[in-house]
Amino acid sequence: MLLLLAFAVQVVMPQRTIAIDDRLAADAHLAVGDRAVVSAAPGAPGDTVLISAIVSRGADPSEIARGEYHVRLHLDQLETLTTYGDRVDRFDVATRDSTATRRALAAINDAAFGFRAYPSKDIAVETSATFKVVSRFHRAIGVITIVASAIFLLCILLLKVEERRRDVAALRLIGISRRSVFRAIVLEAALVALLGSALGVAIGWLTSAAVNGYYQAFYRTPLRFSIVTGDIVLFAVALSLALGVVAGALAALRLVRTPPLRLLGR
Amino acid sequence: MRGLLAFAALRGHAARTALAVLGVAVAAAMLLDMVMLSTGLRESFQHLLLSRGFQLRLAPRGTLPFDTEAMIPGATAILDTLRTLGDVTTVSPVLGAQLHVPRDGRVTTTFALGVNPAAQGDYELRSGRDPNDANELVANDEFLHAAGLQVGDTLEAATGYNPQLRTFAGQRRLTIVGRARFLYLSAGQPAVALPLRTLQAMTGHTRDDAVSLFMVRLRDGASVDAARDWIRAHVRTVDAISTADALAQVDDRLRYFRQLGYILGAVSLMVGFLLITTLMTVSVNERVGEIAVMRAIGVSRPHVVQQIVLESTVISSAGTACGLALGLATARYLNAILSQFPGLPAAIDFFPFQPRAIWTALALLASVGILAGVYPSWRAASRPIAGTLREEAVA
Amino acid sequence: MSALLTARDLYRDYALDGTAVHAVHGVSLDVAAGEYVAIVGPSGCGKSSLLNLLGAIDRPTAGTVSFQGRDVSALGDRALTRFRLLHIGFVFQRFYLMPILTARENVELPMAEAGMSRPDREQRGDELLRYVGLQARGRHRPTQLSGGEQQRVAIARALANRPALVLADEPTGELDARTGAEIIALFERLNADGTALVVVTHDEELAHAARRLIHMRDGAIITQEVLAPNGSSGA
Repeated sequence: MLLLLAFAVQVVMPQRTIAIDDRLAADAHLAVGDRAVVSAAPGAPGDTVLISAIVSRGADPSEIARGEYHVRLHLDQLETLTTYGDRVDRFDVATRDSTATRRALAAINDAAFGFRAYPSKDIAVETSATFKVVSRFHRAIGVITIVASAIFLLCILLLKVEERRRDVAALRLIGISRRSVFRAIVLEAALVALLGSALGVAIGWLTSAAVNGYYQAFYRTPLRFSIVTGDIVLFAVALSLALGVVAGALAALRLVRTPPLRLLGR
Repeated sequence: MRGLLAFAALRGHAARTALAVLGVAVAAAMLLDMVMLSTGLRESFQHLLLSRGFQLRLAPRGTLPFDTEAMIPGATAILDTLRTLGDVTTVSPVLGAQLHVPRDGRVTTTFALGVNPAAQGDYELRSGRDPNDANELVANDEFLHAAGLQVGDTLEAATGYNPQLRTFAGQRRLTIVGRARFLYLSAGQPAVALPLRTLQAMTGHTRDDAVSLFMVRLRDGASVDAARDWIRAHVRTVDAISTADALAQVDDRLRYFRQLGYILGAVSLMVGFLLITTLMTVSVNERVGEIAVMRAIGVSRPHVVQQIVLESTVISSAGTACGLALGLATARYLNAILSQFPGLPAAIDFFPFQPRAIWTALALLASVGILAGVYPSWRAASRPIAGTLREEAVA
Repeated sequence: MSALLTARDLYRDYALDGTAVHAVHGVSLDVAAGEYVAIVGPSGCGKSSLLNLLGAIDRPTAGTVSFQGRDVSALGDRALTRFRLLHIGFVFQRFYLMPILTARENVELPMAEAGMSRPDREQRGDELLRYVGLQARGRHRPTQLSGGEQQRVAIARALANRPALVLADEPTGELDARTGAEIIALFERLNADGTALVVVTHDEELAHAARRLIHMRDGAIITQEVLAPNGSSGA
């Protein structure tokens, strides 16, 4: 729906009121009490209206990256302006609870001729195609990142354990059992992984806050772009712990199976 | 001999080497994809916009092409005005509308473009011919498939459909004369193109002679900005948008992907660098004794460094080479996901293969990997020989 | 005999936990071409430190080391490395072979560094392995060789670029008596073939295989004696 605002001070007292969104108010330097002309096409005759409210935009993902402004008019005025006659795009129906919703849906769809009723949930799914694509993309990137970090972690922990060659040899030479040495190494690797993932969670939380701050300001939306949930933290910590233990165990096995003198290079 | 020592060292720690190569490969693949994503999208869009040679697009003032239902009335008069500008070689007026095709009890709705077949820049003909007669159209595969039609068939189409009364308005009998691929439509969208006058008549826009968009081609060497400014001054009902303007708009809308590309690319580069640096540092620290002996028997410091840098070079080169293959494969997969993006032309490639950007990225990673070997090896080769040998003997 | 190596007023101090340790304290020494010198003394008396200074792998705190009349203590790192490569052979107590290279590759390493062509160094490598009695072990890695064999490979490596002087630091220290005796015999043959030798050792037998015996204590030379060919004291 094209709505253009011609900002002109009108002599005639405005008859009707409109609400505009905060983005338009900021960009066009409009405030409550200002007058504006609204018309359906550039240059077409329009109505002079009074801006009676400035509304903040909802956290609607489908509006991200669209530089549109939102104007709320009284329905009859918009119908007149657009010469649509007594026509609307949709009705929003409020119900008492989910049972009532189901009943209302069935009743409307049985009786309706030429239109259909849908639960808002289904409409939301339909209109969030963009976000389905983005989240699939993020998931794919996430998998790649997990693979990369898993390899990185394995590599670092292998090296970390390998560094203990001489200590392991010395321990074995003074009679510490393979089992004890193995346990000590795996425990150390697990602790390193745990410590690293704690640091990672902190960095992730800060990054998430920075991402939200930046994109909320950039797209002028209260929408949260990145959310660190308990599940995500748990997954990250569990993954790094598991990888740490596996890497530690692999490297430890190799070390305890090698004769101590060979570990010392003799 | 340095090569032998380097390869022997890598072979001596085969598991470590393999992991490092794998790690660098994943980092390289990620870097490659992100470089393609951050720089390629714009290129791809530009390529798409310029693919038919139209440098300017005229949309109803205050709007973007096909972004709203707004129209430009008086198309013929505007065409006449545009033709007075000497630089203009072709003007293609386009009208967009919904077309409803009832067939076998169901209605297929498709996007329809009213065009001048001789000057159009919206579709490429796959088979058949252009819709030169008033009652002809070309359609894409998506439409033909959805409606169960083929070239040569005749259909009933309408621009208005009242689902309540099941009545149609602006009905016309049209024959499919060609199969086409539409350049600017999103994936899976059914579309047809028919003569502009026919669609205007069907939509009731004959009288106001309205169109949705003009595409303007200028002669080679003409200033696009000058033509745009001239049009803005002379045709008050339109906004002239140059390819650069459109790219700026797209840049803004897809900024997220570009930034994501930069950030993840930088992270990948850092991960690759860290991986090789850590590996080389540990590897060198394990060998300080060996290095001291080599220095004692007369191997020069640059040669020690060369040997270790050779090791990091092998790891980063092998990793980068594997990463190239891996990156191209993942790019195809990621592109398949992003090509479903609603409202974006299906022809846009989010990950176009741009040799220069790719070689730059990979060379960057490879050199970062090589450099990662320099510092630890130089430090190890610079340690006092006698002291290091004594420490090693004590250890 | 002309002096091959001349050390004058050598000092080497280390800082250890803030206090200065005088590892070498005013040592002057000449080694003639083809000479066989053994340095003995209690642990920590500065023998190895002196050897490191003579072989230019360490720099003196004060004093000079000249080789064939040229002051090597004044050389820069690059020239010093080249000097060690071409004129000095090192044999260490712990052999210090490259574990990832075969015996022959270990012997070829200094030749490759000196820029010798592959066929030449292969030929010389074989020749040296034959000289130390390991012609059949060229393809083995150090871990597949016994201690004595490893030390013989290390001696072959020290001889790679035909140095005029071989410096050995406790070359029999890690070996049993029988294997040690083989190394002593090899050193005697080496010296008989014209290579000058300076060995630092605790091993009486090795020390008495030399022609001159230097006793050190607290970083300084206390006595020097010339030995008769059978190992008895001559002066």
